[in-house]
Amino acid sequence: MEQFESLLTCCVCLDRYRNPKLLPCQHSFCMEPCMDGLVDYVRRQVKCPECRAEHRIPYQGVQGFPTNVTLQRFLELHAQIAGELPDPTAGQVMERCNVCSEKSYCAPCAHCDKKVCEDCKSAHMEVLHREISRINNQIRRGVNRLQDILGIVERNTTNLQTNCAAVAGEIDEIHKRLSKALKDRTDFLRNEVDRYLATELRNLTHLKDNLELELSNIQSNCDLADKYMTDDVEWEDTELVDTKEIFLKTVEFLRNFDYEAGDYNRRMRFIMTHDPNQLVLHVASYGELNITHPSTYGGNMQQTPGLTRSKSDHRLATQFRQQEEAKGYTENDEPILGGRKFGERRPPPPEKPTRDYGTTDDYSGYESEHRPSRRFRSRFVRSHQQDNDSDTEPTSRTSKAEQVQKEKEKVTDTEDATKGPLSGIFRLSDCPRVMQRILDVDSGKKKEKKEAPPPPKPVQPTPQPRRPPPPAQRQQSEDDEISRLKRQNKGAASSQEPDRAPARPAEEERTSVNRKPPTPAREASSDGESDESVGSLQRTQRKNTAPAPKPVSTARRPSGSEAATPHRPAARAPSTESSASTESSGSAVKHTGAILTIEELKAKYSNHGLPPKHGIPFFSTGNDRTAPVTTNGTAGGAQRVQSRFVGSQRPAPAPAPAEPAHEDSDTSSEEETDSSEESEEEPATQRKPESQAMTRTDIGPLLARSTNARNDAVDSKTKETPSQSRYRSRQSSQTEEESTPRYGSSGSSYNNRYGSKPKEELETQSSLDDDTKYPTARSRYLALKERRNRLARSKSSHTGFGAGDDDDQDDPVSPTTASPSAYLAARYGSGTGGTELSRSRSSHALKSRESSPERPAAGEKDGAALSSWARYLKNKYGSRGKDRDTSGTTSSTSRRLSLGLPLRSANELASSDDDSKNAAGSPISPTAATAAVAGFAAAGSSPRSQYLQKRRLQFSVGSRGSEPGCFTWPRGIAVGPDNTMVVADSSNHRVQVFDSNGIFVKEFGQYGSGEGEFDCLAGVAVNRIGQYIIADRYNHRIQVFDPAGRFLRAFGSQGTGDGKFNYPWGITTDALGFIYVCDKENHRVQVFQSDGTFVGKFGSFGSKLGQLEHPHYIAVSSTNRVLVSDSNNHRIQVFDVNGRVLSSFGEEGSEDGQFKFPRGVAVDDQGYIVVADSGNNRIQIFHPDGTFLRAFGSWGSGDGEFKGLEGIAVMSGGNIIVCDRENHRVQVF
Amino acid sequence: MAALPRRIIKETQRLMQEPVPGISAVPSETNARYFHVIVTGPEDSPFEGGLFKLELFLPEDYPMSAPKVRFITKIYHPNIDRLGRICLDILKDKWSPALQIRTVLLSIQALLSAPNPDDPLANDVAELWKVNEGEAIRNAKEWTRRYAMDN
Repeated sequence: MEQFESLLTCCVCLDRYRNPKLLPCQHSFCMEPCMDGLVDYVRRQVKCPECRAEHRIPYQGVQGFPTNVTLQRFLELHAQIAGELPDPTAGQVMERCNVCSEKSYCAPCAHCDKKVCEDCKSAHMEVLHREISRINNQIRRGVNRLQDILGIVERNTTNLQTNCAAVAGEIDEIHKRLSKALKDRTDFLRNEVDRYLATELRNLTHLKDNLELELSNIQSNCDLADKYMTDDVEWEDTELVDTKEIFLKTVEFLRNFDYEAGDYNRRMRFIMTHDPNQLVLHVASYGELNITHPSTYGGNMQQTPGLTRSKSDHRLATQFRQQEEAKGYTENDEPILGGRKFGERRPPPPEKPTRDYGTTDDYSGYESEHRPSRRFRSRFVRSHQQDNDSDTEPTSRTSKAEQVQKEKEKVTDTEDATKGPLSGIFRLSDCPRVMQRILDVDSGKKKEKKEAPPPPKPVQPTPQPRRPPPPAQRQQSEDDEISRLKRQNKGAASSQEPDRAPARPAEEERTSVNRKPPTPAREASSDGESDESVGSLQRTQRKNTAPAPKPVSTARRPSGSEAATPHRPAARAPSTESSASTESSGSAVKHTGAILTIEELKAKYSNHGLPPKHGIPFFSTGNDRTAPVTTNGTAGGAQRVQSRFVGSQRPAPAPAPAEPAHEDSDTSSEEETDSSEESEEEPATQRKPESQAMTRTDIGPLLARSTNARNDAVDSKTKETPSQSRYRSRQSSQTEEESTPRYGSSGSSYNNRYGSKPKEELETQSSLDDDTKYPTARSRYLALKERRNRLARSKSSHTGFGAGDDDDQDDPVSPTTASPSAYLAARYGSGTGGTELSRSRSSHALKSRESSPERPAAGEKDGAALSSWARYLKNKYGSRGKDRDTSGTTSSTSRRLSLGLPLRSANELASSDDDSKNAAGSPISPTAATAAVAGFAAAGSSPRSQYLQKRRLQFSVGSRGSEPGCFTWPRGIAVGPDNTMVVADSSNHRVQVFDSNGIFVKEFGQYGSGEGEFDCLAGVAVNRIGQYIIADRYNHRIQVFDPAGRFLRAFGSQGTGDGKFNYPWGITTDALGFIYVCDKENHRVQVFQSDGTFVGKFGSFGSKLGQLEHPHYIAVSSTNRVLVSDSNNHRIQVFDVNGRVLSSFGEEGSEDGQFKFPRGVAVDDQGYIVVADSGNNRIQIFHPDGTFLRAFGSWGSGDGEFKGLEGIAVMSGGNIIVCDRENHRVQVF
Repeated sequence: MAALPRRIIKETQRLMQEPVPGISAVPSETNARYFHVIVTGPEDSPFEGGLFKLELFLPEDYPMSAPKVRFITKIYHPNIDRLGRICLDILKDKWSPALQIRTVLLSIQALLSAPNPDDPLANDVAELWKVNEGEAIRNAKEWTRRYAMDN
């Protein structure tokens, strides 16, 4: 048998003969590939492997050799006897593999949609396996997001329940109180009426009796007189005299007795203190429920950071999204996998589209698409759901018919059972195929191999890109933030539309979970006076609630739209200059509606350990008028702000701690108020020093002026302004105590109102005459008023329920008149006084939103039309003045009026607003900058002296090598969060991170051109959210890594077009997250959004001003000046963010202020410029205006000596770190 | 790297299952086309008692082209040079796809039994072999003892 077997085996492939061909020498070989491989094409002969006989090949090739039919019969016989399965490839024809072009038995591959050979296919499967496991890892990493969200949703569910229960209780209580008050009053009135009636009746009856008696007496007298006062009867004289007297008296009585009309005309009237209709109306609508939908993002689910995705996934997701959005959401219900069943083969590409589908318009796009596109899919959907029209078509090709048939069969066993409602992802294990497969695996592993269809994997990549969309939007990357903000703004503008919300409950839920509602924060921030009026209260609150909530506000901050910004500086202007400067840079940021939140900005600055008095250079816009004030007068105040500032920033990343106070009532509406509250905290801090300053003697003149002005304004309205009382009270710690009883024991106020009032009235009533009714009411009113004053009246939100006295309009919250949600929000919290107050303040925000809703909308319209870059610029420079001038003051005034706040202070604010506008209006004008610089240089000598002392090496890091902590040609360097040093270890193709003491922390990257791999990277930058941005030099691309060093995305390729690079070198980001790249060999600088979107470029080859030759490194100052080391021109050029050249300094040479091939350039937060003068092997330090300050260093390898300098950076403590390239080390000065 | 052709898999399996006496060929763990080979010196030859290590590599187009075989152990043989290269016709022009690893190795073993000094590769050895076969055989035995034993 064995010999028989060997006779049936081809000696070349050692396999059973397949299509044996007989050579003339009587040896047989398989036609393919054995015989094929034996062919000597040059000599057109084949040499028999067995006997080495050479045979000419027939004209038609090896096919021309006769088939060994006998052998074939034997083969068949053997197969029958042995019961073997027929060769799966029998009858198949070899084809060229579409991938490797080898001839082989090809089968369609779902991965590439081509017919490929076994080898390629298995390689593809391998790839798919790897991809799946990679993606699976990503999913695993990211799935905790969903879990988090789930947790949040659960928490929110309970929160919502408690919230609703509390609201219901609230309503019940109100109802109880109202009905009790109503009942009490009614009873009282009824009693009154009864009592009155009784008294009056008694009186009248009495009168009546008297009159009757009188009448009868007189009658009898008259009768008697008529009868007996005649002569018939003897009457004594005295008797007659008396009688006459009596009669006279009677006459007199009759004459004089005049009834008082009132006595006989008594009536009672019921008079309502209010118009009853009004009252009914009020009662009927005594409350509303304000249900806050924190999101209406036009159907976008862009919110929280999601899975970190590789570039390709990211792109895919974006594409997918765009597609989706273009098509609208209705079609989104399409089944995943394009309507195929899981594991189903894709339908074969249509070979004759015109014939089958060309007739119908619907399928017109069909043939052009490779992948099953939307149209393609929808075709399937249709064929599923409708009458399966392709079935009715006369299909000539059976395979197609089969396909459809299969399709039909499968429709019945649905996979949709466990389909995720949000993503449409179903559970793989529910698919019949997968179940089968798993079963197979469990029962016997060998079976698996034999099955024709590929393992379930090929399908996965398809769903994967589809899956990300929800998380996709959540990615933390700044680009998403940008778009998110856009949406948010849009959403905020349209948040009033109630009908938007119900459309997408799922999204909403998510957004309400993850997102803080944009509107309140924005309103609050757009509301100068609301900030102001409550700012003082914030102070106390701030102390209580610690700085922790800050990060939350970070998240929300961005919602402040550009429209909001004109006001911010206004509100703050009177405060110290240093704070104003930080703030206004913050506000500039917010102008863009873009990424940077004030919070982060500040965090950044605070990280830099910014000493308080150095505030101005930040601002840099050169308000030298105010500068002296800052430095002299308010130093103390400024210091306070700053320190508190810094202090509060530090713990930034801990959002939780302060929350507990609100936690229990943490509903969406709560969050709304919270967010506004928190976002207003900074203004609060700004305010504080001001109020303190008032008590100080060393108050700066400007400050004093503004505060006095404000005070005057405030005083002029003593009677009316609620905020005024708050201003007063804020200086005492009483505020908290005051506020606590307000809600904590709000019952008492109710009692006063509804309970004790009638009592009081009863007392007065009983002691007073009937006519005192009205006076009573009046006294009640007075008493009420008094009490309210005592209770810091402005705060009572319940007064609206009471008598509609004039004072009510002062009350910030009156549930019947103002927004009910405000009422709820204000009423609701049970927390500390601080939060209470801030809540009631939030009602200001809400109220004022109502009063001017069109403003943000207009601003938005403005901004939406522009690209983000243009908008950024426009907001930064263009619209600032305009905005301020027009809407800024007027709307602030109107809002001020609407809140009953002193107008004068508004004017005051407006004027100080002008100040800051002047300052900020021309941040790019060199003169202004120099002025600021000069002002600074005069005022703050500290950094200057610090730099002047620089010379001695503090320490150096690294030596040559490739171990961690060693370098091979370090190039770029950057300062990361916590003063970490991030070094581009160029020829080790990795990034190393050290802490501020030079201790190795981590490294990432390796040689290569794949994701997360480098080829001689050069520049490195860390953006404000800690992402690493790397200029991957020889790969001509930029790569972005998350703070953990995981690859996020890459962009760019070699070329000269936009977004292409030729040896990108230095790289940096600005406060807004824009990425600036020195495109060295293209002699230009390119600017990108943080997601890699090309924004702009500037510079061209040359040596004129504004031209560049081999720009190496780049830095952006906090004043948005872009410094480029124009290496081959031996100078530093200064641009604005538009790419307009502002100035340039340095020329070739070795004198002070001259350069030889300068490389690294850095700017500290005061604007001092540090240049790695590579050719001179020294570091030069310049004033912010570009004038020389100092130089140190020389050639060598000792301490403080250099051999070829590369990147340079300044740490927040003022330490200068520089890459000493040929010494393979980093030196710190 | 493309998947291993069926023929190589089959040959390897067969080599493991039915080893040729006096020959062992084990594929490398890292490369299935590279084999570690040990051939025993044939009886009645000067190489008797020696264990000769060889390396064998199957090129990409195997079996259409011959495997590459080389002695690692030093051997005194007119058809094997100092580098271990083998002068054997079936490894060169007489290769046939019908040949297999085992047949190649058997041929090599046979070559040890029957040196062919008329088609030499190591000229000095071949010369000696032709001039003074006894001394040549002594040398071969000496080399075998020195290099192909006790290791």
